[in-house]
Amino acid sequence: MWHKISWRLLRHELRRGELTIMAAAIVLSVTAVLSLSLFTERLQSGLLERSAEFLAADRVLSSRRAIDESWLDEAEKRGIQTADRVVFNSMAFANDQLALVDIKAVGDGYPLRGELRTADEPFGAEEPTTGLPNSGEAWVAAALFQELGLQVGDTLEIGSSQFVVSRVLTYEPDVGFSVFTDSPNVLIRYDELGKTGLIQPGSRVRYNVLFAGEPSQLEAYEEWLTPQLNDDTHNWRSIEDGDSPLSRSLQRAERFMLLASLLGVVLAATAVAVAAQRYCQRNYDVVAIFKTLGAEKAQIQKIFILHLLLLTFISIAVGLALGWFIQAQVIEVVADQLGANLPSASWQPYVLASATGLVSAVMFTLYPLLRLIGIPPLRVLNRQLTGTDKLRWLHWVASAGTIYALLLIYSQQWLLSTALFVGGSVAAILLLTVGRLFIRASRQAGMQAGSAWRLAMAGLQRRAQANSVQMLSFSTAIMLLLLVLALRNELLADWERQLPDNAPNYFIVNVAGSDVDALQQRFAERNIESNDMYPVVPGRMTAVNGVPVREEVTKEAGGDEADTATNNAEQREGFGRELSLTWRDDLPPNNTLTAGQWWGDDPQPQVSIEQEVAQRMNLTIGDELQFNIGGNTFTVPVTSIREVNWASLQPNFFMIFNTATLEEFPATFISSFNLPPERKSELYDLFKPFPQVSLIDLDAVMEQLREVIDQVSIAIAFVLVLVLIAGVLVLLAQVQASMEERQKELVILRTLGAPAKLLSRSVTYEFVILGAISGLIATLAMELSLYILQTQVFEMAATIHWRFWLFGPVSGAVVVGVLGRLACARLVRRNTAQLIRKLA
Amino acid sequence: MLIQTTQLEKQVTTQDGTLHILQPIDLAINAGETVAIVGASGSGKSTLLSLLAGLDIASSGDVLIDNVKLSDLDEEQRAKLRADKVGFIFQSFLLIPSLTALENVMLPAELAGHKNAEQQARELLTKVGLGERLTHYPNQLSGGEQQRVAIARAFIGTPKILFADEPTGNLDSTTGHKVEDLLFQMNQESGTTLVMVTHDAELAERCQRVLRMDSGRLTEVARDVA
Repeated sequence: MWHKISWRLLRHELRRGELTIMAAAIVLSVTAVLSLSLFTERLQSGLLERSAEFLAADRVLSSRRAIDESWLDEAEKRGIQTADRVVFNSMAFANDQLALVDIKAVGDGYPLRGELRTADEPFGAEEPTTGLPNSGEAWVAAALFQELGLQVGDTLEIGSSQFVVSRVLTYEPDVGFSVFTDSPNVLIRYDELGKTGLIQPGSRVRYNVLFAGEPSQLEAYEEWLTPQLNDDTHNWRSIEDGDSPLSRSLQRAERFMLLASLLGVVLAATAVAVAAQRYCQRNYDVVAIFKTLGAEKAQIQKIFILHLLLLTFISIAVGLALGWFIQAQVIEVVADQLGANLPSASWQPYVLASATGLVSAVMFTLYPLLRLIGIPPLRVLNRQLTGTDKLRWLHWVASAGTIYALLLIYSQQWLLSTALFVGGSVAAILLLTVGRLFIRASRQAGMQAGSAWRLAMAGLQRRAQANSVQMLSFSTAIMLLLLVLALRNELLADWERQLPDNAPNYFIVNVAGSDVDALQQRFAERNIESNDMYPVVPGRMTAVNGVPVREEVTKEAGGDEADTATNNAEQREGFGRELSLTWRDDLPPNNTLTAGQWWGDDPQPQVSIEQEVAQRMNLTIGDELQFNIGGNTFTVPVTSIREVNWASLQPNFFMIFNTATLEEFPATFISSFNLPPERKSELYDLFKPFPQVSLIDLDAVMEQLREVIDQVSIAIAFVLVLVLIAGVLVLLAQVQASMEERQKELVILRTLGAPAKLLSRSVTYEFVILGAISGLIATLAMELSLYILQTQVFEMAATIHWRFWLFGPVSGAVVVGVLGRLACARLVRRNTAQLIRKLA
Repeated sequence: MLIQTTQLEKQVTTQDGTLHILQPIDLAINAGETVAIVGASGSGKSTLLSLLAGLDIASSGDVLIDNVKLSDLDEEQRAKLRADKVGFIFQSFLLIPSLTALENVMLPAELAGHKNAEQQARELLTKVGLGERLTHYPNQLSGGEQQRVAIARAFIGTPKILFADEPTGNLDSTTGHKVEDLLFQMNQESGTTLVMVTHDAELAERCQRVLRMDSGRLTEVARDVA
């Protein structure tokens, strides 16, 4: 019988809108968690897939020797796509001139991820291409056209065979960010490699096999393959191993999303907590009547537990549907931008969201429900009775424990969760204390004011206890909103700084020292923004503290030289061979010293090394490095270690020397500059007087970076909206709850003849003051939290947000005031007799 | 003897010392009697009612309902006793706002596990003149109608005792009289024992016995039985 009563109560209450706030709070928590986690999961795997383009595959196996065919057969057997790619340096000959080129011979299917783009003429409009060069043809980078004075249709000699240059190669997904691949690329078919006669035993060739497939297939294959690999010869890579220039931005974005989602979850949970309290209070009379009519405690327990569970399950179902729908809408927008379908998410977000809804509904209702069930039947005669308050500590423990558990489950990072939790608890205690002080102070101020204000102040003071708790939830909601808003602005501004509209989109290398001034003048004449010119001296690092480097530092000689390259594995192999060395008087922008000191005017020979190199090669301050430049050997001590922002689009170096050490050696110069896409046609003319200068086009790479940042910005805006809804819901729940307390007083005042205007004004003022104080406290708390987050979590410079000091209190006053007025208007509109009856 | 109290006392401790709400009370009410308890506000009428109904616990002394000592029962057993033997009518009606008139009346019978709760409730609501308003919620009914629903609810389990706390206190006099008539008529038909708290002298006069409560002391009002 009890389940019938329970269901009946639920049905009617739902229909009459009495459970709306509670249901909305649960729905919101589920919706927020589901849509956020679905969205982040899908976006992440989408971005990962997108990043896979930088490899042109999901995984790459590279080797110094030809790769065992049986490994490829095994991959194909497992349904994994493969493609060959062989890369090596060679001389190319055309129009009676020679040039060093990077030859890339690729097999069918290349690229497995991303696309090739080509153009009809150098710097012409590019278009995506699905195929590869025909037999006997080669696609050549624009720079080589410049260098060799090529035209489309000309013949290019490579080794012992000839290729017709059929198209200009404008974009290869796997070209990477390496600006020191100073030789232009030539793309030919893998099966024509043999006839060039260039692959001889001992030639420096890099064999690669690209793999693409489902994550599960790849993981299984990886498990099968890796035990057979020889660390000295083979290198197995996935995009996650790489330090892509995007990764820093993405990591920050991920951290932001995580944090904002956590705050959203906390807000939604707060809304559930406020609503649960009210849900139970509303039922005090019902329970008293039930008991008077002879209901046993067990019956009441069952009725209300079932009632709550039914409400929770219905709300969770609605929340799941809504969360899925919202996420699908947002994904559609993002997918349009991505130009691809995002992979679908796993079942985990659904479980996580349902669990969040269930756990918060149950845990936050636990104490109010216990109290509800303990309501004495005597309440039917004495309405003041509200049951025992002895177990209040249980409420705090259960609520705090739940929030902590939710943080932990959601982030799976105990440090972040604990920091947020402890910070939040301290903030809550501060908020309570400060809130009470403010209310006391405002009472003094209010004594001098007009009647509506005086009523408002008196109300504030009388309900000081209730108000300070209320203010806690107002402040929390406003603070979290401000926090997310401010963080978002910071992140976007940070990315803007990193990728301003005038970020360099071309690198120039191979500038002769004698041309530096002329080139800089040419840039100035044409109003082109360029970076500093950096001298480059090719040299080898031969020994560390007297121990030759080849044995100690790398097991194997050879490899690509790639100073600003993004792949650690290649960099590691690069040492022991030629490096690009530079000299400078001052520390370059986007470099920070992590150890030692910059030399200033000190003419003693010394070198500053990049932090990751230092770690990898186990170098510390004071180590003596021996270098060989064109046969001259010298030794310098390491005097500083630098952290380099590789994402900055400027020349970056592993080794920087003081000027006195290197300036006597012959050097070429490199730099970067920005040229808007619409002025691309000027390039040819610009560099005509400097035929030996090579140009590297970064536009494609920049575009990728911008696109990803745009997508993440959308994601962040979406998170912001969700957090906003959660915040408004908390405010709404709180205003509505407090309205019930005020109801009685309003009735008395109304009965005594207070005009409706006075009443609604005094209530509005009361909420305006509450809102303004909450907003002010929220801004203070936000500023503190942001300082910690920026410096500790996001590794950004901390800033003070003056605008928010006005925005916080004003928006708090407006929003809370408006909500209060709306809620009050409903009460005032009813006639007094109705109200009295309702209260009776 | 259906209701009996011996040396029933209630006192509460306040900051200013012990407050005696009820002085020792000895009272006996027979089955089928109608008894009014009158007195000024704060004299202890409602406290006595709450003790008799087992809603509250006495500081000392005993209440026996149908020869069962309430002080021997725990809260659960007292609830069971109310479910089986007691009906209530309150000044503020105390209907459950989210249940319809029919469901409000069914509630005690359902809680007691009766099978034909709905049928009984329909009949009772028809009897109180609300046969057409079964699906109305309390806030869609007038005060008099709500109290009639409450009367129907009070009679549904055919209780032996009906406790009424100012049953017409919230109603205008015309409606109040109609509700009184209905209450006494149904009480007579079912032979229920009625214990009613009121400060309406006219209403008290309709009861067979009138007890006066004054500062926690209860005295029987001698009257001429016409």
